[in-house]
Parts: sequence; C-alpha cells; structure tokens
Amino acid sequence: MDPEQVDEFVMGYLKKKGFNNAAKQLQEALHHNNGGTFNSTDYHNDPELTKLIRSFSQSENDPTRYRDGYSKLRSWAYNSLDLYKHELLRVMYPVFIHCYMDLVGKGHTREARAFFNSFRKDHEMIHLRDLQKLEGVLVPSHLEEMEFARSLRQSKVNIKICQYSYDLLLQYLHRTESTLMLGIINEHINFQVYSGQPNSSSDDIDAVTIVGSFQETADHINQKEIQWGLLEDSLEDRLEKTGSLLSDSEKGQGESKDGDVDDSKKRSNEIGKQGSSLKKLKKDKAGNATAKVARQETSIVSPAPRVKPELALPVMSTDVEESILEDLRNRVQLSSVAMPSVSFYTFVNTHNGLNCASISHDGSLVAGGFSDSSIKVWDMAKIGQAGSGALQGESDTNDQNVGPNGRRNYTLLLGHSGPVYSATFSPPGDFVLSSSADTTIRLWSTQLNANLVCYKGHNYPVWDVQFSPFGHYFASCSHDRTARIWSMDRVQPLRIMAGHLSDVDCVQWHPNCNYIATGSSDKTVRLWDVQTGECVRIFIGHRSMVLSLAMSPDGRYMASGDEDGTIMMWDLSTARCITPLMGHNSCVWSLSYSGEGSLLASGSADCTVKLWDVTSSTKLTKAEEKNGNTNRLRSLRTFPTKSTPVHALRFSRRNLLFAAGALSKPAS
Amino acid sequence: MQLAVEGEEKMSIVPKETIEVIAQSIGITNLSPEAALMLAPDVEYRVREIMQEAIKCMRHSKRTTLTASDVDGALNLRNLEPIYGFGSGGPIRFRKAIGHRDLFYTDDREVDFKDVIEAPLPKAPLDTEIVCHWLAIEGVQPAIPENAPLEVIRAPAENQIYQQKDGPLIDIRLPVKHVLSKELQLYFQKIAELTLSKSNPSLFKEALVSLASDSGLHPLVPYFTNFIADEVSRGLNDFLLLFNLMHVVRSLLQNPHIHIEPYLHQLMPSVVTCLVSRKLGNRFADNHWDLRDFTANLVALICKRFGNTYITLQSRLTKTLVNALLDPKKALTQHYGAIQGLAALGHNVVRLLVLSNLEPYLSLLEPELDAEKQKNQMKSYEAWRVYGAILRAAGLCIHDRLKIFPTLPSPSPSFPSKGKGKVISTEPNKRKLGVDSSENRSPHKRLIATDGSDGGPSPMQVDRPTGDANPPQNSVRPSSSEQASDGNAPESRNAKEKDDSKGRAITRKAILDQIWKDDLDSGRLLVKLHQLYGDRILPFIPSTEMSLFL
Repeated sequence: MDPEQVDEFVMGYLKKKGFNNAAKQLQEALHHNNGGTFNSTDYHNDPELTKLIRSFSQSENDPTRYRDGYSKLRSWAYNSLDLYKHELLRVMYPVFIHCYMDLVGKGHTREARAFFNSFRKDHEMIHLRDLQKLEGVLVPSHLEEMEFARSLRQSKVNIKICQYSYDLLLQYLHRTESTLMLGIINEHINFQVYSGQPNSSSDDIDAVTIVGSFQETADHINQKEIQWGLLEDSLEDRLEKTGSLLSDSEKGQGESKDGDVDDSKKRSNEIGKQGSSLKKLKKDKAGNATAKVARQETSIVSPAPRVKPELALPVMSTDVEESILEDLRNRVQLSSVAMPSVSFYTFVNTHNGLNCASISHDGSLVAGGFSDSSIKVWDMAKIGQAGSGALQGESDTNDQNVGPNGRRNYTLLLGHSGPVYSATFSPPGDFVLSSSADTTIRLWSTQLNANLVCYKGHNYPVWDVQFSPFGHYFASCSHDRTARIWSMDRVQPLRIMAGHLSDVDCVQWHPNCNYIATGSSDKTVRLWDVQTGECVRIFIGHRSMVLSLAMSPDGRYMASGDEDGTIMMWDLSTARCITPLMGHNSCVWSLSYSGEGSLLASGSADCTVKLWDVTSSTKLTKAEEKNGNTNRLRSLRTFPTKSTPVHALRFSRRNLLFAAGALSKPAS
Repeated sequence: MQLAVEGEEKMSIVPKETIEVIAQSIGITNLSPEAALMLAPDVEYRVREIMQEAIKCMRHSKRTTLTASDVDGALNLRNLEPIYGFGSGGPIRFRKAIGHRDLFYTDDREVDFKDVIEAPLPKAPLDTEIVCHWLAIEGVQPAIPENAPLEVIRAPAENQIYQQKDGPLIDIRLPVKHVLSKELQLYFQKIAELTLSKSNPSLFKEALVSLASDSGLHPLVPYFTNFIADEVSRGLNDFLLLFNLMHVVRSLLQNPHIHIEPYLHQLMPSVVTCLVSRKLGNRFADNHWDLRDFTANLVALICKRFGNTYITLQSRLTKTLVNALLDPKKALTQHYGAIQGLAALGHNVVRLLVLSNLEPYLSLLEPELDAEKQKNQMKSYEAWRVYGAILRAAGLCIHDRLKIFPTLPSPSPSFPSKGKGKVISTEPNKRKLGVDSSENRSPHKRLIATDGSDGGPSPMQVDRPTGDANPPQNSVRPSSSEQASDGNAPESRNAKEKDDSKGRAITRKAILDQIWKDDLDSGRLLVKLHQLYGDRILPFIPSTEMSLFL
C-alpha cells in the first residue's frame, strides 16, 4: 500500500474522531520527515496494522457493520461450548445495547430500529424494562436527554468471566477481525477475569444489572458495617424476661388470668368475634409450653444482637406498653404446621378509585386512600358490633341498611388535592399519615377526625409514607427520587436520602428504627442510616420496579416484592439475596412478616395471599446450593380471593393476619 | 427517493401523516414534510416517556389496567397540562375506522345541551363499604360464599402433594365422615327387614311405635329417606310394602326428636307417588283406595307441619294434584288420589281448586257413571269411587262454611252480662277445639266412608258418617242449641273487638255486613252444588241452613 495513502487515512481518521492535536502533530511529523529518513512510525511497514487502519476508515459510515458484527458474535456465542456459553452470552447484552445506541448516535435511525427489533427477543426475558425504555430512543439528542441512556454510555459494565472464556472471546475477536465489536467491548465492558472453572448459571443474578461503575460503589457501600440487631430493652426483651417469671405463675392462676386476658380491651377490639378469639386463646394455651421451649431454642441458635437507638425515641405510655405486652404474651406461635387465620377486608363499590389500603396494628381500623383525594377510615370494631352478621354472610343486608339511610359508617378525611397514594397508622392507631400526588403528606387524628399538619417538602407526588415502629418519626418517598425522614412535630424533613436513580416507590422502617429501606423503579433496594442519612446497603437483583418491602421482626432479613411477582429475601448484613420466591404472577403489593418471623405473607394483584416458610428458606439455602437445587422457595399456602387484588397485609401482634383489597369486577 | 422516504417512514411508529394532521389541527399549515419526518421520532420518544410515567402512576394506584387518569397523572409529573375530556372513569371505547387496518377513533357523540339538562339526575353510585370475612382459619379456607369456590375442592389434593414432599409436617384435614354406631346400623337393618317382610304385622306395629317415639334416631333419617325412596320406586306393585313404607313415613313424622325438614324434599316424591300413582299393587284384592286415603292424610300432615317454613311446599303440592285431577288422560285412580289429597289439605283448598273445576269435571265423569254406557264393571266402580270422593269433599267444604256463619247473628241477650275474663278464656279453648276437631274429623270420616263403600256409594251411606263425625265438636245436641253454639263463636270474637273499640254498633254492623256477604256467597255455592249433585248434597247441610235456603 502506498504510504502516502495510509498517512491520509490516518489523518482523516484522527480529524474525524476529533483528535485535532494528534492530527496536527502527525502533520508536523509528516512535514518534518517529508522526503527524509522515515523511521519514526512503523505502521507503514506493518501490513496488519495498515489493514486495520484501512478497515477503520472505509467502514466508518456503514451501519450494516454493526448488524453483521453483532450477528456473527451472537452465533459464535450461541454455538460455543455449554460450559462457557452462559458467560459469553452475558457479554451479548451490553454489546447489543451499545451497538444500538451507536447506531442511534450516528443518526441511522432506521437501521437502529431494524437492528433493535431483530435481536431484542434475546434479551427480553431479563431486560424487558430497559429495552422498553431504550426503544424510544431514536435520535441522537434523545441519548443525551435520557438519563438511563447517558448513564449507560458513561459507565462500564462489570462482567465476571473466567480466564478461558475471556481468552476464547479475545481469540475470536482477533481472528475474525471484528474490530467494531472489539471496540465496543473495550469501551463499555470491564472484565473481571478470574482463574478456574466458570461459575454455574445460578449466579445469574449478578449478571442481571447493568449499572456500570455503580456496581463498584455498590460493593463498596455494602462493605459498610450495619447493626441490624434489635433495640436493647425492647418490649420483646422485657417479655422474655417477665415471660419466664410469668410462665409459672400463669399456670398457677390458670383460668381466671386467661379470663381477664380475654376481657381486655384489645381483644374485643380485634375483630369483635368471640368465637374465634376463644378458640385462638385455647390454642395459645396449649401451645404455650412448647412455644416457650421453641423460643428459647431459637434464641440459642441466633441471638439477635442488641443495639442502642440512634434516634431519641418517644416514650411509650404504660397503658400502651401493657396492651402491647399483653398482645405479645397472647401471640399465637406460627410455623409451617401452625397456620394463621386470615381476616379479609373487602372494599366494595370503590369504582376503581381505591389507591391504597392500610390496616392498624390491631386490625380495628382500616383506611383507604382514594383517587378522588379522599381518605376513608373504617372502625371495624364498631362495624363488628353493629353487624357482626357481616361475617356470616349477612353483609348484604347490612350494607343496604346503612346505605340508603345516608349514615356513613366511615370517617371521611378530606384535605388532599390529588390522588392519595399511601396511608399509614401510628402504632397505637391514634394518627393517620397520608401521602398524595399533591406532593404533601398530611397528618390526621383518628380521634378528632381532623387534619392536624400538612408536611410540604417533596417536589413531586409522594408515593409512600410509613410511620416508624415507635411512632413519632415517619419516612416518605417520592417521584423526586428522594426519601425523607420526618418527625411529627416539624414541618421540615429531618433527613433527605438521595441516591436512587429513579422514583423511590416504597419505604419501610427497620425494626430498630436506625435504618430505613427504600425500593425504587431503578430496580434496587437501598438501606439508609437514619442518623447519618447515608446509604449503607444496595440490594441488586430485582428485574423490575420494587413495589413492597417488609423487614423481619428480628431485623436480620428483608423481603422485597416487585412488579413481576418476584419476592426476594435479603440478608441485611451481606446484602445478598437468600432466596427468590417465585409464585405470584403479578405485582406484589404487600408483604408482611409474622410476629416471630417464621412466616412471610405476600399479597398480589393476582388476587391471592401466599404464605411462605421463612425458616426453611433461610436454613436450607446452603445445603441446597450444594445440591444444585434451584427450587429453594417454599410456598406453604395460597389463598385465592374471589376477585380481589390484595392491597394491604398486616400481621397483628397476636399473629392474626389481616388483608385488605378492593373487589374488582373481572374484566369481561 | 421514493424508496428512501418509505424507509424513513418506517423508522418511527408515528407516521409522518400523523404529524401533519396534528400540525393542521393546531393551525400550522406550512409544515414541511422534512420537519414532519424529523418530528416523528421525537413524538414517539415523548409518547413513550409519558406512557412509562403513566405506568408508574398506574402501579401506585394499585391497578393493572392503564386509564386515562394515569396519563393525566403522568402529564402532571412532567408539569404539562392534562388532556381534558377523557377522564370519565369508564374505559374509552375505540372504534375501528372502516377501510383501515390500524386506525381507531373514539366514539364521541354530540350531546345536545337540552337533553343533558332535561335528563333526570342519574342514580347516586353506591357508597364504598368494607365487608369482612375469613379468608382462612388456621390455614384452611372455609367454604363460604365470599371465598373463591375452586380452591376448596382442590385443597385436599394439594395437601396430599405436600404430604408426599414434606413428610409429616403438614396436617391433612379430610372431609368429615358420617359415622354410624353399630347399634344404629342394627336398628336400621331390623326396621328395614320388618318393613320388607310383611309377615309379622304385630312386630311391625311395635317398630312403628318405636320409630315414632325413640330419641336418637336422627342420624338414621337420611338412610330411612333413601330407603323409602328406593323401595317406593322399586315396589310400586307391592301394595303391602307401600303401605308399610307410608306407615314408616308417618312414624318418622310423628317422632318429636327427629328433625326431618331437611329431608322432606327426598321424601315428598315417594309420598306423592303413593297418592296419585296410576297403579298401586297388582292384585285386584289390594285395597289401594285405603293406601291413597292414608297417604292423603300424610300429605296433609306434612303440609300442616312444614307449610310455614317451606312456603312453596303446599303450592307445589296442590299444583301437582290439580294437574293430576284436571288431566282427562289420567286414570280415575289418579283422580281419586288427587281429590283425596286436596280434600285433606283443607276446605279452602277444596273450595278454591276443586269446586271451581267441579262442573266440567262432573260432566266428564258423567258417562263413566252411567251403568248403561260404561259396561266395564271395574271402570264403573272406579268412577263411582271418584264421584263419592268429590261429593264428600264438596259437601264437607260447604258444610264447613255454613257451620261457621250463623244464620241469625243476633247477640244473645245474656252475653253482655257475662264477665269479660270468661269470654276471653273460653275463646281460645273453643278455637283449639275447632282445630283439633277438624284434624280428627277428616281421617275419622274418611275411614268410615271407605268402610261403607263396599257397594256403590249411596248418598245415605255418606250422610251417616258425616252426621257422626260432626258431634265431636257439637256433641249430641238438639239442632236448636246448635244454632246458639254456632252463634257463640263470632259472638265472642265480636265481644273481643268490642273491647278494643268502644263503638259497638259500628263493629257489629261491619260484622253483620261481612256475614251477609259470606252468606250470600255460601248461598250461591250451595245452589250450585245442589244443581250439580241434586239431593245428594243435602245431608251435608245443617238443618237450619236447609230451612233457610230451600
């Protein structure tokens, strides 16, 4: 090849790429060496390099190269040895999206669209949401505008790959001279090569998220220490202490004591159904002896560490404390053989307007947030007294009695000016907090039935608000990508947690009040230190928007449910997913752990309540992993409702499960 | 060039034309095609963006279907003006444009203001309510209407699967089995044997007494009802067996410890079969008339006891019977059964259902009765039986009516001087007596009637038993006193009403009017009956009435 020509190519390339300085230098060098001895650059003499340079220049503008290169790489990866195949296939997705974005960036919209459509099937299973986002990107300016695309362009994807697979890939790329693919891979993928055999495909979860350098920060963040233990001197502690004392005296006093218990206020509040409560009580008594033993056993196995509260916690009145202790004492011990009773509150005639439902700790109050900005609070204890027949199928007559009379048997709370997206009861049930699309959070008193405070701070609709386990503090999260910590007595937030890359959709307090967890549309769950406002854990693994969160009562685990119906159980200290619980086939709206943490209940848009065995899920992980058994989940029961998506779930302190949902007419 | 343009069009799902149409609609007329082409991808991008935000709003509204309000919410998030006019709650109806494959438009009717203003206000929607039910009790879903029905059936199978997987961890709750004690099983076998054997009537009688009085037989009731239903359908030719079975039914009904109501629906078909079946027993000697009479009483008993709780029971029964009666194709034996059944149900039933159909029916029966026309001895006999039954039913009915109303409802002068307490205390007694007597009377009478019906039923023969049957109430009295006692019943009622309202004269007048009206009705009825039956009806009519009417 003519050296002059090569020089020209090189010059053209440099200019095109914007390396003006380099081009100038090259020109100077060329001038300098013009006609003279020519030895500084060897690229003229290296045929390989010349070819490479030629290929660069000639095909710069040819959009079909992307398609060819990708499809060749794809067929090669698919035809590779099974042992290495899944590792090599992981490379395909980043190459695919970057090819697409390159094409878009160069203005080949039509080719980009064709390219996208012909290969999107390969990635739809895992990356559907991302693909849907990217699909809309059609002109270069969109790439700049769209945050997701920008972050993809700017960051590198981490891919763990074994040495042999890596070598295979490089050999292939060199052999076939697919410089374009090589360029993309070099530019956007950061290989973490390790020696030894390739990982089994069970590790796929790590491969799912393409967040680039984010992974490193996540790993870094997840190194931080967290103290997930329960608060020292908690009521549970006190119960265990007094419980051991009481257990003897309780036996001695026998019936009379239990009689008192039965008469207690909470009890009658619980649902106003004497029969079941008595039955439960009996069972309680029977199981008491064994339960004590079991409790001691578990405490030996895993003594939950005690931590100090970082927040100044409100002082509980002795009355409240007593009633909680009473409840804890009367708690039914649940396990895979002792299932809870589920009481279901069905909202009827909601006209598709119910956005959220919330149940107070004792199940006596139920709040619904509606799209017409209203909040309605039902006192189930009152309704239970007035028409206990509701449970025996006389509900219809009950409705009719109340309806035409114009007497509402709920409290209507008006004040918001946009759809109400969330409502939460304070632990004693005397306050309700609600969050709305009007960007405000409002505090209501259930005693005065009036609005007390309006908290303004978020700039966009507030998706979720949750009272802390001890009241007084609450956390909110919003479309503005922040979560905020508030206290009831201040109209300004105490902390703002920023870091999520998209809407923060749900929030949940850790039982020790020192942390909050947030689930986001960026498919991650984060744990934040309430005191410092720092992110201390990032949980990566969900494939779609996270809709619900629950913390185990011992503070060790967290469950999160997403839009696709997947529930993930996380170990807070390691930030690893213990087990994905598959079973729902639609959005998981609500999750709740039973009082002693042995069961997890999940409520979904597929009109079912499912119960999961937590103990077996956590215990068997290691053993089953060795066996290569992927079927780790253990769903205990599925309770289908007639046609009611389950919006809210709550285990009462006595382990009665309350569920709520709006009856929706089946589409026909 | 053309090719290139086509290719360009493909690059966005929003066609160029759409952009042009939109531009025109907002008043931009000079939009160049190039600009439209450039805009198309951007429009698509924005639309997708909005839709993704709308999906977020949908999720937070806990829904799985996207609505117009979600899109409005998404526009709000972007600080854009929502699109007005679509957020009407209900789903938007799209219509397909004819001639285009993928072109839709919303069905947007023009509404006249006048119509809207004049239209009545729509009904207010029902208010939101909460209904509470048990989704599960200790992990088991109760089979209540609020719960999904499917899973209840599937539950045991599911449990079994778990059982195999997880060993003894999960308890299985099988459906509860009905367990019968050995003694009860033996008892049932013995009773069944006795019913079927027919060889030991005295022992069977004892068994019936036991059935009618023993407590603790309730678990056997379903077995008995099954047994009866089976045997009746199988043994229609076995007269004695049928009779025995009906006796068993009666004993079961009499037993105060048995709650037979839930099994009535199983029992009734067998009983009605024994009443109106074409053929009961296969021998000529079988006195199936007897069986029909007995069963008619049984039916009446059932109706009396359960008529209140099963409101449809009597109406359904009478419908069956009347249909049997009015069908000329049915055998005379069936007609007989139907008449007896209706007669046993009471006079009101007879008056409403039999007497109204009496005339046509008798004309139908006429040729059968005539000895010259009907040569078949058997047929003739049957016809006369039916005639007798219908005459008796009608006669009793008219007798009953006439008996209630006094001819001269003048108050006895001694009456007001009587103590009130006494009047009131006597009244319930009398009422009760009336009920008792009516209960006693009909079976009693019928038995006698059938006794005396060996030959052709003559009016005199029927007459005598009725005369005998009446006295339980009226005892043996001269007819003059009968009038006075008959007058007593309304009188005491009269007195009671007087207590309530002081206006004696007014109430008495009202009562008198009523009685006169009833009397007139009765009179007409009587005349009609007389026309139909001739003198045969006369024995049923009390002498005083007779004197009045004839």
